[in-house]
Amino acid sequence: MHQALDEYEKISGTPVIEQLRRLGDRLKGRKILHVNSTAEGGGVAEILSWMTPLMQDLGIDANWMVIEGSKEFFNMTKSIHNGLQGYPVVMHKRDWETYIDVNRHNAEKLRPLLQESDFVVIHDPQPAALLQWFPKRRGKWIWRAHIDVSHPFRPVWKSLRSFVQAYDASIFSMAQFAQLLPHPQYIIAPSIDPLSEKNIDLDVSELEEIRHRFGLDPAVPTLVQISRFDRFKDPVGVIKAYRLVARVKPIQLVLAGGGASDDPEGSEVLKEVMEEAEKDPNIHVHLLPADAHRTVNALQRLADIIIQKSTREGFGLTVTEGLWKGKPVIGGDAGGIRLQVIDHYTGFLVNTPEGAAHRIRFLLHHRERRMQMSRTAKEFVRENFLLTRHLREYLTLILTLLSGEWKPTVVV
Amino acid sequence: MSGFEIKDCVLLSLMSGMPPAFNLRELRDRIAACSQDVLYHHFCETTLVASFDYPDYRNDFAVWASKRLGDKVLAERLGIIDPYSRSSLEDLRGEVLDIIDERLSEQTMVSWARMGHEFYFMKATTIIFDTGERIHQPEELLPAIRRMSNGSIYFHFLEARRRPPVGADDFAAWLVAFGPEWQPYVEALSGLDFYFSTLSQLKRQLIELFENQNLS
Repeated sequence: MHQALDEYEKISGTPVIEQLRRLGDRLKGRKILHVNSTAEGGGVAEILSWMTPLMQDLGIDANWMVIEGSKEFFNMTKSIHNGLQGYPVVMHKRDWETYIDVNRHNAEKLRPLLQESDFVVIHDPQPAALLQWFPKRRGKWIWRAHIDVSHPFRPVWKSLRSFVQAYDASIFSMAQFAQLLPHPQYIIAPSIDPLSEKNIDLDVSELEEIRHRFGLDPAVPTLVQISRFDRFKDPVGVIKAYRLVARVKPIQLVLAGGGASDDPEGSEVLKEVMEEAEKDPNIHVHLLPADAHRTVNALQRLADIIIQKSTREGFGLTVTEGLWKGKPVIGGDAGGIRLQVIDHYTGFLVNTPEGAAHRIRFLLHHRERRMQMSRTAKEFVRENFLLTRHLREYLTLILTLLSGEWKPTVVV
Repeated sequence: MSGFEIKDCVLLSLMSGMPPAFNLRELRDRIAACSQDVLYHHFCETTLVASFDYPDYRNDFAVWASKRLGDKVLAERLGIIDPYSRSSLEDLRGEVLDIIDERLSEQTMVSWARMGHEFYFMKATTIIFDTGERIHQPEELLPAIRRMSNGSIYFHFLEARRRPPVGADDFAAWLVAFGPEWQPYVEALSGLDFYFSTLSQLKRQLIELFENQNLS
């Protein structure tokens, strides 16, 4: 269930909400359509599930559509995803034909909405080819890349670039992800919703119920990684780090996450993780349903330390969630984690299981430092990484595109 | 006496189109060639950019020299530059280039950043809009500041220094017209050290300044 914009006033403050309303007044009635490839699971669906209603709350005619695709299509787009994150994947002409066919089918299905929108925001590579069937589009089309494309496997990027270059603008989460394209490339970091099931404050009784349900020992420090079962999230590396710590200190590890309908590799990686865990009673591996938001929330709140040991990461919203809950984060030195985890400040960046183990021990040993990091981290998120800032930047982008050619200052 | 029109602004960063700099010489050459918008962004607009960091230095070049090149000497020299005290952006550019050239002449090797830690040249679009709020008496300024967004604080206190009267913030420029009674506030505003403040902290500093009974 989404919250009305006014509900965020007590968290973000009145001036922030007033500012959004004033920006929204200048876009009232404009048609904005978001398109992605999954209705649930993963960060993009989460963002769109609050952004669309909040835009509507501002008087904008906002919509969100999800494309349909076959199993072959999602296998193929997973390969694109992996390729864009730098993994050398083999893709055949037939794969790209599937990609184009599915996009063509969705273009026809969504034609009226896509054709009449003032702004179309296409999220990630899956629906990126839709644009080519709208040569006489009336609106501005924006491609939004949520993933880490800093060092893509070139053949994959080269093919995808041919679909993306015709857009009016693109959005990347960090400057490091931006690629050479013949249109303006804006930088908008994602955000979290502090009132969503995943981030809202929970009663102690609910936390205790989850602790009991997951068989966690209240007397033993808890390390939690929440993420899809994906090789780039390095769950096996987390287990290795846990083992290095467990040799000298009692500790328990939770690896939990849902699957996404556009991620066919999840079950394979989960199997590898289960094998690596070898029935260790202090390693708790859980595949959660896509809607287990309160469970994820509780697990993050029960953690002493949050870990996100990704080797590639778009932004890493689970890091933001952990920081919002006042937990220091040990994160892989990759993608958006670098932006959020500042050594000795909000947590530690690490490169290896050994590095992660060292920092886990450091944080468990220095309780006061952990508490101090917690306070700092929460304020940074409040100031910069809540959905109110994210929404403001989308509205700013739309006003910028409405003003025509790029100018340093636009008066509206 | 004219009313004070409360404006607000929001900023969105975008890539400048220049290639990133991997080392100090590339940084120098790109700074020499970049547009004034890029220079202004990296010196003055950083307070409006979302960040998890609270760096030692308030311009992006000094932060990069410190964190990515590991060159503390250069970071200290760049970090002390006050962009608002320069008569023009070209003047600012000249000073930055002088400092980097001097540092290059002191080094036997050009310092490099690791892959993934390059300097990215950005610029920004700032959307300015009228909030519709007006105040007519100085006494109304404190409650108005309390209601202001960080964007309004940026626009009226920092960005204002680029507009005539150059170097002055909008609050001080407006209060001057109300006579000697308000002169202590004008002087206090001019002397406010905002260099290390985030916009939220700057807002608190301004509120404290106007709450200070000793000035009235």
